[in-house]
Amino acid sequence: MPEEIVNTQAQNPKEDEPRIGVYVCNCGGNIGDVVKCEHVARTLERLPNVVVSRDNMFMCSDPGQKMIADDIKEKGVNRVVIGACSIFLHEQTFRRTLERAGLNPYLYYHIGLREQVSWVHHGTPKEATEKSIRMMAAGIAKARNMKPLEPVRLPAHRQALVIGGGVAGLRSALDLARRGLKVTLVEKSHYLGGHMAQWERVFPTNEEARPLLKRLIDQVLAEPNITIHTGAEVIGAKGYVGNYNVTIRQTPRGVRETFPNEQEAIDVCPIKRRKRFDFGLSTSKAIYRTYTGCVPESLVIDWETCTKCGECVKVAPEGMINLDEEAQEFTVDVGAVVLATGFQPYEPFYGEMGWKEFPEVITLPQLHRLLDDEGPTQGKFWWNGHPVKNVAIIHCVGSRQVEGVHRAQPDGNVNNYCSRVCCTASLSMASLIRQKAPDAKIYEVFEDIRAYGRGHEDYYTRASKNNVTFLRYFAEEIPEVRRADEKAEHPLLVKVRDHLTWGEEIEIPVDLVVLSVGMMPNPVQDLMEIFKVTPGSDRFLLEVHPKLRPVETAVNGVVLAGTAQGPMNIQESCAAASAAASKVSALIEQAKVELEPYVARVDPDKCQGSGECVKVCPQEEAIELKTFSENGNTFQRAVVTPANCNGCGVCVSACPNRAIDVQGWRLDEYEAMVSAIAADIPAWEGAA
Amino acid sequence: MTTNEEKKKRTEMLVEMRKERRETVQRAQELLKAQQSARKALERALTGGPHSVPQLAQAVNMPAHEALWHIAAMKKYGIVAEAGTDESGDYYLYRLVKEA
Amino acid sequence: MSTNQIKVDALVVGGGISGMQTALDLGDQGYKVAVVERKSSIGGKMIDLSKVFPTLDCCSCITTPKMSATAHHDNITLLTYSEIESINRDGNGFKVQATKKPRYVREDDCTGCRSCELVCPLEVSEDEHEFGRTSHRVVYVPFSTAVPQKALVDLDHCLFCGKCIQACPSDAIDFTQQPEPVEIETRSIVLATGFETTPINAKKEYGAGKLRNVISGMMMERLLAPTGPYGRVLRPSDGKMPASIAYVQCAGSRDQTLGVPYCSRVCCMYAIKQAMLLSGALPLAEITIYYMDIRTFGKGYEQFYQNAKAMGVEFLKGKVARITEDENQNPIVRVELIDEFGKTRVTERQHDLVVLSVGLLPGGNPQPKFGVPVGEDGFVQVPDYNVFPAVTSQPGIFVTGAAAGPMDIVDSIMMAGAAASSAASYLEAGNGSRKEAQRQPERSVEYA
Repeated sequence: MPEEIVNTQAQNPKEDEPRIGVYVCNCGGNIGDVVKCEHVARTLERLPNVVVSRDNMFMCSDPGQKMIADDIKEKGVNRVVIGACSIFLHEQTFRRTLERAGLNPYLYYHIGLREQVSWVHHGTPKEATEKSIRMMAAGIAKARNMKPLEPVRLPAHRQALVIGGGVAGLRSALDLARRGLKVTLVEKSHYLGGHMAQWERVFPTNEEARPLLKRLIDQVLAEPNITIHTGAEVIGAKGYVGNYNVTIRQTPRGVRETFPNEQEAIDVCPIKRRKRFDFGLSTSKAIYRTYTGCVPESLVIDWETCTKCGECVKVAPEGMINLDEEAQEFTVDVGAVVLATGFQPYEPFYGEMGWKEFPEVITLPQLHRLLDDEGPTQGKFWWNGHPVKNVAIIHCVGSRQVEGVHRAQPDGNVNNYCSRVCCTASLSMASLIRQKAPDAKIYEVFEDIRAYGRGHEDYYTRASKNNVTFLRYFAEEIPEVRRADEKAEHPLLVKVRDHLTWGEEIEIPVDLVVLSVGMMPNPVQDLMEIFKVTPGSDRFLLEVHPKLRPVETAVNGVVLAGTAQGPMNIQESCAAASAAASKVSALIEQAKVELEPYVARVDPDKCQGSGECVKVCPQEEAIELKTFSENGNTFQRAVVTPANCNGCGVCVSACPNRAIDVQGWRLDEYEAMVSAIAADIPAWEGAA
Repeated sequence: MTTNEEKKKRTEMLVEMRKERRETVQRAQELLKAQQSARKALERALTGGPHSVPQLAQAVNMPAHEALWHIAAMKKYGIVAEAGTDESGDYYLYRLVKEA
Repeated sequence: MSTNQIKVDALVVGGGISGMQTALDLGDQGYKVAVVERKSSIGGKMIDLSKVFPTLDCCSCITTPKMSATAHHDNITLLTYSEIESINRDGNGFKVQATKKPRYVREDDCTGCRSCELVCPLEVSEDEHEFGRTSHRVVYVPFSTAVPQKALVDLDHCLFCGKCIQACPSDAIDFTQQPEPVEIETRSIVLATGFETTPINAKKEYGAGKLRNVISGMMMERLLAPTGPYGRVLRPSDGKMPASIAYVQCAGSRDQTLGVPYCSRVCCMYAIKQAMLLSGALPLAEITIYYMDIRTFGKGYEQFYQNAKAMGVEFLKGKVARITEDENQNPIVRVELIDEFGKTRVTERQHDLVVLSVGLLPGGNPQPKFGVPVGEDGFVQVPDYNVFPAVTSQPGIFVTGAAAGPMDIVDSIMMAGAAASSAASYLEAGNGSRKEAQRQPERSVEYA
């Protein structure tokens, strides 16, 4: 059971007169260029209970923090009000400052002078200064009423859930397990490795993708701390950081293990289906193996197409295939969740550069399969039964799109982002094509070549040496793919306005067009709802801060690994996945977590047990009526489970007896703030 | 705080250090001399009113980039301050921050 | 604090953003960490920058809290102004010899009040922080947000006048300080040695560093920073507010003649960011970016680039062949626009100020001291590059940030997490018994 919150009200005796320290940060000009910080500090100096009021270039710097700590120790400051940048940046910084100086860290109030004043009122410095004074005065009013608080401390499961068994998920799971944490890994498909298993090889090392992947999978399988569920999906979760109870549904594989006469079972299957692993370039039976050496290795039934005719069951060993197995549901208790849900290749619209309109138009992922020894042509660079002589690879399909030029996705937005991997992936494919077809004409039709990473530029140089022709287009003029004359040697024509030759219009005859499609996040609307994480405008999952906290989400305990967060290559996915493991380890390694104290608190003397709060509470199991008995009377009182309360305050307004307050944001604090904002404060006369 | 004896010891130590590092000290002294005369010249020019960097450079016969270096340092340590721009709007003017 | 013997789980070499983040990620997991930084303050290159792309957060505002968190973390020991002398494998771990260079100011006594600096009579060029564009006094606190906030004396310029000794309220000046050996016993090492930028004089076609109004991207960062040398964007030759500024991309990257064939990965974005900041600082200035390919590949970067175009920044594709100057020291840029058939169009344009988007070079060669081989590009070699990006060929030695190749801040932070995680895996795998690492540290909560 969660610990009860300590009654902190009692720890604030009357003689503890508020002695408020006020600090106004110039934010290196971010605030100071608009707001006259010195004027603000001097004006506020004379307000009741203000012991010291200062301004500083960078309050968050060590000297700035030291100034506060010194005032606490030397001037007896016991409430701190800081006007600075966003609370998201520095709340923790200043809480630690107070803690180090021996003051309860919640006796501090932060006002966002940057976001709320200087950045939005930069044209009106006088009014901005005035607004800052009022906001700070409100903060001072709140500070007078602030009481020490303690975080909600809860035990945590030393176990993590990794959702997604691609390279990022595997890598996260491995690091977590090696760190000594238990890991549950769930993968929606029936094999591990995700898209990486589909690639022929990986840049910049030119290693074959599957052997590299296999090495990683073997390490994961060797970890006793990791439990893997394939064919499994998360369908629900309850709880909060440290204490998630997650429900998983696992669809059966249909096949127990590998067996000797597998081919026979496959041969007798009457169903043919497009093979998703080959991006539809080939077909397989409804009982199939994703690829040789996949993990788990046994055959699997495609329930979407299987008619349960039972032919395979007849030829397989007794009990090996079970077509009537039901999906299973089970739950796991975990302390944190890693979302490694990955990406899907951009799917062009019908007719977009000839997609689906002409069979000679394929995507880059399909090219990977085509050039794969295990792919539909056993690695030969053939199409439609003929060797490909001319090929054009068109870049930025589904990336760097321009509103009004490109067709939007169903959400109304175009993909205006760069997918980061396609340039080097295309160049590395060009180099593979050159190996397989020394005489082929290869055209790279691009906007910018973004071979940014270590070793990437070499592919660009090599492509030029390999007689790859580069044509540059601008996003506003999409290359056109059309059918050539029937008698023409090459079935398609690609029309490009090439800006390497001063905008000359060029038509290139080709046998195959490869669309270098970008990345889109896998659709994980359900998981977003379950874990309350949000996407950015690019639909990828949103991190807390794109610069400094790229793997954490706004939800404590839910982190991101790999391409769920944005386009990345394998190396970057692994780094991100590993970083995500670091964050999870730091969070739950000690089997306990701390939550913010801003939760509802019931005054049992005022509560009449009306139950209004329970009715309006939007959270599950955050507030409930409990029966108590005293002197033979039984009565009901509302009781808060702090861990489940998000401090929204709906119960506060619903309570007919004013028996509930949100700690740290009590009604009397609000009232004091509102009065202070409305009050007139005589300005400091010393302004130059 | 410190006793006379300690002071004496300290002075002896400084003398000793100066002896020990005669070459660098000499170089530093030359540098200081040059710096002080440049600063004095600039300050003298500025007593006549705010100047831009090229104006100062001309007034004290010093390359403009050197004048800028001095002005930047003097600004950093609060000796000069900006005083608007010149007529063209291309250059800032600098004035002396005098003690009140 | 004569911590002459330190025993830790991990030694992080380098106190830049990636080193700090690695230390925090390890410290937060309960491991004891030592950070050795050769400069007098941690913060690395990041603390020198103006704002970061693509969020335009003020760099000081987001770096200083990291510096402070690193300095105050219960599990982290900071050794600034220190050099690693040698490392030796010792059973499962390493014995590392380091030297704490003398600051000639006793760190324990100095309060960072700057009384000494204010009375010091001599100023010398600030080479480390501001590329000689401004000065610091002989005794000085490195910069206003330095961690630790402690003074140091540049003994090579000291007059031994004794003014600082008199001024110091805590009697912290000590000319008799000697280099102090420190022995660090550690179970693992993380290299976070970062990068240097292409020297401004590297390319003779671009003036070989002799043209005053041709500056580097890093210098422009200082000009744009609120704590910069002039507090303004002024050109170095005469303090003029530049009305026309040009960026030369790939000035030190993708350039075989300099032996740097690779892309430095950050220059496109920093040039675009600076262009945007310049349009704010100098609304009338015209800004041109000469480029080969614009590589805005990160999250939110392409949108940032498109915004810059919409703001009126001119992007011109072409390789800058030469930069000269006219009699007023205005740089003249000669651009060759080359097509694939070898036709060239050459134009010459005059600007007030030219910024070379200099590239990233390795911050040092760790091979001799750490036995960690480097690749052809000079950055630390990573054998299993794709899957274990932070693991070097030396067991127990890891790499993070730009030591493993050019990368921007966000990628450095990801790598830091990866290095911390890989080091933790290594430590937990029984490489040395897990010893008295504090099991219940006060967590430093992460800072955005």
